Amino acid sequence: MTPDVDTIVWLGMKLMMLVGLGIYIVFAFIIVRQEQLMSKTLEAASERIISILTWLHLGAAVVVFMLALLIL
Amino acid sequence: MPVLFEAPSQAPKKTSKKGRQAVYPFSTPFTAYVMNPKDIRFETQGTDEEVILFLRQHIIVLIPPFILGIIFFFMPFILFPMLVRFLQSPIEIPSGYVVVGTIFWYVATFGYLLTTFLHWHFNIFIVTNHRIIDIDFLFLLYRKFAEAKIEKIQDISFRTGGIMATVFDYGDVLIQTASELPNFVFEKVPRPSEVVHVISDLTENRKKGRNV
Repeated sequence: MTPDVDTIVWLGMKLMMLVGLGIYIVFAFIIVRQEQLMSKTLEAASERIISILTWLHLGAAVVVFMLALLIL
Repeated sequence: MPVLFEAPSQAPKKTSKKGRQAVYPFSTPFTAYVMNPKDIRFETQGTDEEVILFLRQHIIVLIPPFILGIIFFFMPFILFPMLVRFLQSPIEIPSGYVVVGTIFWYVATFGYLLTTFLHWHFNIFIVTNHRIIDIDFLFLLYRKFAEAKIEKIQDISFRTGGIMATVFDYGDVLIQTASELPNFVFEKVPRPSEVVHVISDLTENRKKGRNV
């Protein structure tokens, strides 16, 4: 039994989305890393809030990837 | 013995429009101008080195990306349904893709605002009692650190123009240093005339041989 064209198209779509979301996770991780490096360069009391925001962004990127893996 | 005189406690002074000394000395993530900050240190700061002036670009530069962020926020509600109706595509997009796509759209919008903010937040100018420092966060993996000793400063000026710059009092401070060193441009910093005054005072004091 061969899968129909629609199934192949949507499978390809899913793979493309997962690759895209995977790249976005790398991007989000780079932001976290960069923030850590810059916080070493500049030590200010407010840096903790920014660090939390970058980690939240990375977390959200991972959640979207997992969601795509599960529901697509 | 009765107390004849008691020195007033040194409470942090609030910002005033004219007074150069009267600036609250603590920073927030949105601070763009602070004199004698008590809570800021940088990587290569010497033990006898004090931060006199800490600058970022004026907060007004964040307004256009913020407005763009608001537009991005409403796009899934307004623009996307309109686009789907206009294109009249025969292919029906599965609901899973709509859900993941919408959530990703908001994460990416947040990412855009975050990187824009970080770019602004980590582009800093520091004036200490020994040197001036320009730290640039160019894009993610690139950062630039430039410094010049106070005594190497040869000429300092500022330029400001346009409605926004006049209303919000920001402009570029141009610092010319000894020829072998790069020239500094503190772009779109708040109160450029005051910045020029502070650095001029420092260079004059240094020339007179006094340590500030």
